[in-house]
Amino acid sequence: MIRERLATAYNWFDERTAVRSLTRKGLYEAVPVRGAWFYTLGSATLILILLQLVTGIFLTMLYVPSVTEAWASLEYLKQHDAFGSIVRGIHLWSAYVLLFVIGLHMVRTFFSGSYKRPRELNWVTGVGLFVLVLGMAITGAFLPWDQAAYWTAVVVTNIPAYTPFIGSFIRALWRGGDFVGPITLVRTFGIHVWLIPAVLFPLIGAHLALLRKHGEHGSYINYRGAYRAREGVDVPPPPKQRPIEPPYPAVPSEEVWAAPLETEDFYPYQTFKDGLVSALLVVVVFILAVAIGAPLEAIADPSTTNYTPVPEWFYLPLDQLLVLVPQQLIPLILVLPAGGVVLMLLLPFIDRGPERNPFERPAVMVPGAFAVLFVVILTLLGSGRLFNQ
Amino acid sequence: MSGLLAVVAPILHQLAAQLPAQAPQGKNLVAAQAAIGVGFSIHILIAGLVSGAGELGPAIEFLGYMRQRRRYDRLARALGHFMTLYFSVSSTIAILLITVLLVGFWGHFWSTIATIGWWPFFIEAWTFVLQVSLAYLWYYTWDPLRGFKGLHMAIGGLLAVASFLQVYMIDIIASYMMTPTNPQNPLRLALNPTSYPLTVHRTVGNLAYVGFVFAAFSAFKFLRARDAEDRAYYDWAGSFGILWGVSMTLVQPIVGYSYAKEIQLHTYAAWYKMMFGTLSPVFLWQITLLGLMFIVSLVYFTRRLRTDEATGAGLLSLMTIGMVASTVLAAMPYHLSLTYDSVLAAGLNRPFWDGGLINPLGSMIPWKVLALMGYSLLAIAAVIWYLRGLPGVVWGHARRAEQRLLVVMALLTVMMMVTMGFIRENGRAPFLISGEMTIQGQQNTQTTQPTPQPTSVP
Amino acid sequence: MAPLDRRRLTRRQFALLGTQVAGATVAVLLGIPIIGFLISPLFRRQAVAEATVGDIADVGNRQPKKYVVEFPAGDWSSAKVKAAVYVVKLDDQTKVFSNTCTHMQCPVHWDASLNQFLCPCHGGLYAIDGSNVGGPPPKPLPEYVHRFDGTTLFVENRFTESL
Repeated sequence: MIRERLATAYNWFDERTAVRSLTRKGLYEAVPVRGAWFYTLGSATLILILLQLVTGIFLTMLYVPSVTEAWASLEYLKQHDAFGSIVRGIHLWSAYVLLFVIGLHMVRTFFSGSYKRPRELNWVTGVGLFVLVLGMAITGAFLPWDQAAYWTAVVVTNIPAYTPFIGSFIRALWRGGDFVGPITLVRTFGIHVWLIPAVLFPLIGAHLALLRKHGEHGSYINYRGAYRAREGVDVPPPPKQRPIEPPYPAVPSEEVWAAPLETEDFYPYQTFKDGLVSALLVVVVFILAVAIGAPLEAIADPSTTNYTPVPEWFYLPLDQLLVLVPQQLIPLILVLPAGGVVLMLLLPFIDRGPERNPFERPAVMVPGAFAVLFVVILTLLGSGRLFNQ
Repeated sequence: MSGLLAVVAPILHQLAAQLPAQAPQGKNLVAAQAAIGVGFSIHILIAGLVSGAGELGPAIEFLGYMRQRRRYDRLARALGHFMTLYFSVSSTIAILLITVLLVGFWGHFWSTIATIGWWPFFIEAWTFVLQVSLAYLWYYTWDPLRGFKGLHMAIGGLLAVASFLQVYMIDIIASYMMTPTNPQNPLRLALNPTSYPLTVHRTVGNLAYVGFVFAAFSAFKFLRARDAEDRAYYDWAGSFGILWGVSMTLVQPIVGYSYAKEIQLHTYAAWYKMMFGTLSPVFLWQITLLGLMFIVSLVYFTRRLRTDEATGAGLLSLMTIGMVASTVLAAMPYHLSLTYDSVLAAGLNRPFWDGGLINPLGSMIPWKVLALMGYSLLAIAAVIWYLRGLPGVVWGHARRAEQRLLVVMALLTVMMMVTMGFIRENGRAPFLISGEMTIQGQQNTQTTQPTPQPTSVP
Repeated sequence: MAPLDRRRLTRRQFALLGTQVAGATVAVLLGIPIIGFLISPLFRRQAVAEATVGDIADVGNRQPKKYVVEFPAGDWSSAKVKAAVYVVKLDDQTKVFSNTCTHMQCPVHWDASLNQFLCPCHGGLYAIDGSNVGGPPPKPLPEYVHRFDGTTLFVENRFTESL
C-alpha cells in the first residue's frame, strides 16, 4: 500500500523532472575493468574537495578575518572547542591529502595518455583545477595569522614582485599596499572563500560533464595485446578486436584500439571501489585530525629574529628553488613554475599521436618523468630544513 | 634509545682506552692519509657498484616484466650474479678498512664516532646481513620462481630497500662529520643538514655509476661475442647502460648544487676552501669532468644512431656542440692563480682587463650555474632524441669505436667518483669532524672553526 | 555574425547590436568600480609614523644591537605592529637596519659566529655594513629613515630605498 503510494509519488515527480532517466544515465555507464582502481583517484579528489567545502563553510561561523582577531578566534577554538578543533583539523588534513591525491591523479592521467583526442579539454580543465586547488591551499595557509601563516604570506606575496615591469604592482594588488597588513588578510580571505571557489566548482562540473561525454579512457594494459610483436618481444597473441561503441568514439588506428577490452557498469562496481578508497581516505583524515589536529603557533610577529619560517610541505619544491636560484637568475623562480603550467596546458596539443603505451611515447614521457623527479628531489632537499632550524 | 647508549658507551670507551693514544704525525700522517685515501677510494668504487646493482637490478626486472622483454630479464640477472660475486669483496674491504686502518691509525676518532653513531652502524651491520641474504635469494630463485614473477619482484624490491638503507646509514655518519649537529638527538643526527643532499646525491650517483660500468662491461663482451644473439644482447645492454647512466647523472647538478649550498650555510670554512681555497682547482676539474662525461655519452648516442642510419643523429650532433660550449663555459677558471686567497694577497682581485686575475665569466654565479643548467637541459633533450631514434636501430650492428666510447665513459665516471670523494674528505681538513676534532691531535677541540672573513664575491 | 551594414540595418541586426550594447554597459558599469576598488590601496599614501628607539649610546662598535619598536598597523586598523631595528656602529658612522631580507622579506638576524646577518629562509648573507656577501638577495639590507636627537634615535616606518 505504502509502496504503491511511494511509487505513484515517484512517478509524479519523474513526470515533472525526468529524475528517473537522469539517474539511469548517471549510474549505468560502461567503464573499463582493467585499471579501475586507478580511477578511484579522481572520485577521491572530488570527495576531498567536498570535505573542504563542508568544513570550510562551518569554519566561517567562528573565524574572524582581521589581523587582531584571526589568531585569537582560532586560539579560542583550540582552547575551548574540542569539536571545532576537529572540524579545523579535518579542513587542514583533508587539504594535505587532497594535494597528494590530486597529484597522483594527474600523474596517472599523464602516464596512461588519457588526455588524447577527444579528451584534451578534460585535461585542460584538470590542469585548471590543479592550479586552483594549489591556490586554495596557499591562500588558506595565510589565514590563521600565526607566525607560520604570516611569514608564508610575506614570502608568497613577494614572489610575483620579481615579474618584470609590473612586479611590485602585482605584489601591492594582493597585499593592498606595499607591506603585508590588515588589507592583505581580508583580501586573501575573500580570494579563499569566494573568488577561487566561484571558479573552482563550475570547473569541476565541466570536468565531470566532459568525462561523462567521452567515457573513461582505460589503462594501457587494456590495449597491450594490440601491439605488433617486435624483435625480442614476448606479447600474447592479440585478442579479437572489440567492436567500437559509445562512449568510445575515437577512430581505431592500425595498431591501437579505440576501446578497452572489458567494461562493466559504473554502478555498483566502480562506485564500490570509489566508495572504498574515498571512505578509507576520510577515515585517515579523521584520525589525523583528532590525533594531531591543526597546529597554531604564536601570534604573528614581524619583529622576530629567532623564528625560522618553514614553508608548508606542498610549497617545499618552490621554496627550495628560492634557495638555489642565485640573485642574477631570480626570474627563474617565476619562469619555471609558469612554464610548467603552460607546458601542462599544451600537453594534449603536443602529444597528439594515437599511441597510448607510456614506453612508446618517450618524447613526452621522459620530460614528464624528469619533471616529476625534479619536483620530488626538490621536495626531499627542501624537507631537510624542516628538521634543521 | 638513550638507555641502550648508556650500556654501549662504557664498553666502547673501555675498548678505546686500549687503542693507540697517539695519532700518526709528520711523515707517518701523510702515509696513513694516503693509505686511508686509497683504501676508501677502492672501497667506494666497489661498494657503489654493489649497492647500485642492488637497486638497479630489481628496477630492470620490473621494467622487463612491464614490457615483456627477455633482454631486460637477462640484464637484471647479470646484475644479480655480479652482486653474489662481489658482495664479499666489497664487505671484506670495508671491514678491513675499519678494523685495520681506522682503528689502528685514528683509534680515538673511531671510538668517538662509534659512540655518536652507534645506532646507524648497528642498522648498517644488519642491512649487510639483509642485503646479502636477499641478493642470494633473489639470484638463486630466478628460475624456481619463474611462474611467480610477482613474488620474485617483491624480493627484488626488498633488496633495493636494503641497499638504499645501507647507503643512507653510512651517509648519516659521513654527513655528520661534515656538518655536526647535536648527537644526543637521533633525529637531528639522522637528518643533519647535509645528510639529505648527500644521500640523494649518492643514491642517484650509484645508480648512474652501475649503469656506466655495466655498459663498459657489455662493450668488452660485445667485442668478444661470437654468435648473433649475444652480439645483439651486449650491444643493447651497452646502450641501455649508458642511457640509464646519463638519465641519472643529469639530475646530479641540482642535487650537488643543493649540497654545496648546505655546506655554505653550515660549514662555511669547508665551502670557502672548495670554492675559493686550495680545493678550488679540483672543484673546477670536477665540473669540467662532468661536462666531458656528457660529451662522450652524446657522441656515443650520435654514433650509435648514425651506424644504423636512424633518425635524430644530426640533431644529436648539434646537441653535442652545445654540450661542448657548456663545458667550455664551466671549465673557465675564475682566476688564474691556485687560490682566491693568494689572488687576494697579491691584490689582484680585479677583472683581467684591469690588470687583475679574475675572469668574470668563470665565476660560479651565474655563469657556472648557467653551464650546469645547460648540461641538464641538453642531456634531457639528448635522452629524448636517442629514445626516439632507437626503433630504427638494429641491435648487434654496433662498431668498435662506439664500444670504446663506453669504456672511456666508465673510466671518466671512476675518475669523477674519486675526485668527489677527495673534495668532500679534504673539505673538512684539518678536522675529522668539522669544528670538533682535528686530524693530528684527535682531541675534541672547543675552538670554533676559523671562519674566513667574507670578501665581496662577484 | 554578418557584417553590420549601416544603410540596411535589419531588425535582427538591430536586436543583436542592442543585446551587445546592453551587455557591454553592464560589464563596464560593474567593472570600473570593482577594479577601482581593488587598486585603490595602491594610490593611497601610507601614513608616515615615527617611533622612538631610545638611547643608543651603549651600542658597542661593530656589535649590532636589536631594538623593537611599534608602528600603527595602518589602514582602518587601530592595532600596532612590532618592527625590529638593528643599530650598527661602524667606527664613525651609524647604520639603522631593518630585519627585512631583500630577497623574500624574511626576518634576518645577526649571527655572531658567522659575523654576518643571516636570513634563515633561503640563506641570504649580509656583511655587518648590510652589503650582500652570499645567497640570493638582490639588494643590501634595507635601512630605516631615521634621525637623531643627541644619542636618542627615532625611526620612521619607511625605508631609504623602497623594496
